[in-house]
Amino acid sequence: MKVLEACNITKVFPGVVALDSVDISFELGEIHCVIGENGAGKSTLIKCLTGVYEPEAGSIRIHGEDAMKNKKLFDKIAYVPQEIDLFEYMTVADNLFLPYERSGLKGLVNRLELEKRAIPLLERFHIHADPGTLVKEISVSEKQLLQIARATVHQEYEVLLLDEPTTSLTTKDAQVLFEVIEQIRQENKAIVFISHKLEEIFLIGDVLTVFRNGEKVAYSDIHEVDAPWVITQMTGRSLDQSQVFYSEKVADEVLLEVEHLTGEKFADVSFQLRSGEILGFSGLVGAGRSELMQAVFGYLPIYSGAVKLNGTPIKQGDTNYSVRNGLIYLPEERKSQGILPMLSVRENISVSNLDDLRSTVGISKNKEIDLAQQVIRDYDVKTSDMEKKIKFLSGGNQQKVIIGRSMGCSPKVLIFDEPTKGIDVGTKAEIYRMMKTLAEENGMGIILISSEMEEIRKCSNRIVVLYNGKKVGEFGSDAEKERILSAVIGIN
Amino acid sequence: MYERLPNPVHSVVSTLKKSTMTAIGAVLALMILMASIFSPYFLDIYNLQSLIRDLAFIGMIGIGQSLLLIIGELDLSVGKIASLCGILSGIMMMHWGWNSYLSLLAALFLGLVLGSLNGLIISKLRLNAMVATIGMAGVYGGVNLVLTKGKAITGIPSEIHIFGKGNLGPLPIPFIFTLIVLVLVLFFVKKTKTGRYIYAIGNNRDAARVLGIKVDRIRILIYSIVGMISALAGILYVARLGSAQSAIGENWPMNSIAASVIGGVALTGGIGNPAGALIGAAIISVIQNMIILFGVNVYWQSAVSGFVVVIAISFSSLSVILQERKQRKIKLSK
Repeated sequence: MKVLEACNITKVFPGVVALDSVDISFELGEIHCVIGENGAGKSTLIKCLTGVYEPEAGSIRIHGEDAMKNKKLFDKIAYVPQEIDLFEYMTVADNLFLPYERSGLKGLVNRLELEKRAIPLLERFHIHADPGTLVKEISVSEKQLLQIARATVHQEYEVLLLDEPTTSLTTKDAQVLFEVIEQIRQENKAIVFISHKLEEIFLIGDVLTVFRNGEKVAYSDIHEVDAPWVITQMTGRSLDQSQVFYSEKVADEVLLEVEHLTGEKFADVSFQLRSGEILGFSGLVGAGRSELMQAVFGYLPIYSGAVKLNGTPIKQGDTNYSVRNGLIYLPEERKSQGILPMLSVRENISVSNLDDLRSTVGISKNKEIDLAQQVIRDYDVKTSDMEKKIKFLSGGNQQKVIIGRSMGCSPKVLIFDEPTKGIDVGTKAEIYRMMKTLAEENGMGIILISSEMEEIRKCSNRIVVLYNGKKVGEFGSDAEKERILSAVIGIN
Repeated sequence: MYERLPNPVHSVVSTLKKSTMTAIGAVLALMILMASIFSPYFLDIYNLQSLIRDLAFIGMIGIGQSLLLIIGELDLSVGKIASLCGILSGIMMMHWGWNSYLSLLAALFLGLVLGSLNGLIISKLRLNAMVATIGMAGVYGGVNLVLTKGKAITGIPSEIHIFGKGNLGPLPIPFIFTLIVLVLVLFFVKKTKTGRYIYAIGNNRDAARVLGIKVDRIRILIYSIVGMISALAGILYVARLGSAQSAIGENWPMNSIAASVIGGVALTGGIGNPAGALIGAAIISVIQNMIILFGVNVYWQSAVSGFVVVIAISFSSLSVILQERKQRKIKLSK
């Protein structure tokens, strides 16, 4: 029986169509797997189905009733997010039953009774921690299981949405999780399982929906398809691949040398970057790519190993040194690490070029305006006014400002961390072209971190793949997509 | 694209809307107008001079405090630094027999040291600025009591008095100092690299680090500047009273923060103009002056002035609330 039916769901963000008339429905007693690359629209879909986002078009019916009109129906959807969001300084039992009202607990909270009620639930999910311990003291896999347990405490749920629940689990713990999921299916609930990992999907799934670029591209019974078919659907071989953006002028000179680098989220990674080269870094979200590059840049600590820029070791943990010597990091998290939100476009541009704006009486406002105009023109930043606060610009234009302002620091090595995340297709191509020009004409070395297979293959001269913080492969630009993708998802 | 023809009417309206300075300047002008209509004594030169002398101190500290608020921090020990430096200048002059001017310079330097101590412990030990400076205020106040045993140091040499009691033309000397501080601070924030960086740090500390800005060094520098401004206010106040007392600067931490916030400096950091803090201080001083001129019962004065300050602060958030409501209406009507 269909418990949830979504028709024609369309969600638009400034500059991007995140979901393009998507139909999807879930049946009771069925495990429905959803798969797609990063940015394919899975998270947006979840947020629409749980009532977090309101889609621009389309309808969501739960038991045949319109959920847009009756928001209470969304209570039937239990959602377990990918990141662990438990209250670390509260007990296991508290976390299980919060908010107390929804768990049917009224009036005063009796700690002992709470813990007693928690025991059967914890047993069911194979959580061995005592209900009275603080969550910060239990293991990561127990936290993950606890999150799922918490979602099932609320009696009225009928759909359980699991967003990549196994990313922080070991194979053994994942096995436990699958058993629990199977039990829940037996109770005639609908389960939605979102994952990158093909083996898991084939292990537990019943049906499969594949997303790509905000569209639903395939739906099938899982037993009728195989892994290569799924990969083809995910990556969309049919997409225009004719245009490539890798550098055609790679020099011999090595700009950046990373040797056996180990940090919190990565271990023993070595690579070299040459002048005029674009080096791609691929991997799953959480594989440690951003952390590795932030450590190379001096933003995160290094436990062991060395980073040499032009043959001289960098000062670890000193971003000022890196920037002064031409090693620049353009962050993935534009909002939290890139822009200065409340300042104007002009000030966001000038902030990294103040040395060039000096006059006899301090910083010259005229020079500053000239520079801002130049960056806006050269990098085709679309803004009505350079005095506009940068937070009001679209993601693509923010990215152009960030790239444009970095050029004043005469960079030698530029690290682009997911430079096209949340950016529309047209602007993506502009950014690819910028990277190519910088490499070919200015002889810079460029590192490109991207989760989009298409992007990384189009732009990179070489591709390094990280899995679980380790370098698992290095490919030329002509390597087959399937081989790279296998390395990305951890199949050898 | 950027280039487009400016519409003169539109641009005047938008600058008025944009510039908090103009708005609070207008509020101040309105209050002065009201005060001068309702009380014949308000525009009296002696009243104005004493008002401006009061506001010079809150204004000076407020200008310093606004720098800290812009980088997203604050210093609640400014009053205690002021009184400790004032007391020490008194001790140097009276007990140690130092040259008066040398003592003042030494006290200024001490303020710089105490401020940088605040900055050092906050940045290197990664402490919360509010809690740490409450603690340091206790330390400075305690040292103060140990030194003075609670007694005032009287008989400050009369050549110093002019700095606190004197006038230059119609303007009280402390206010001249406040204006000098303002000009220097404005030059710092508008025209120097470090000054620009404090906005970057206040906007987004992580982004500032990614840009290669030496965040901790700049934080310590700002605490030092604020310490020195506090010391300046402290010794000017000693000169005004003719004696060094540990009660100096009692209300300065709160008043300086209130002045900054009224002046459009955001407590969340990254936004504001130090000049706004001076206007904010003027607004607070006019409120306090009006309360006295209107003959409000002595016991009620503190309550009334506190209440009016809260109203003044809420102006800025009120505009945000109204705007949000308007947007919601627009969205719902769609």
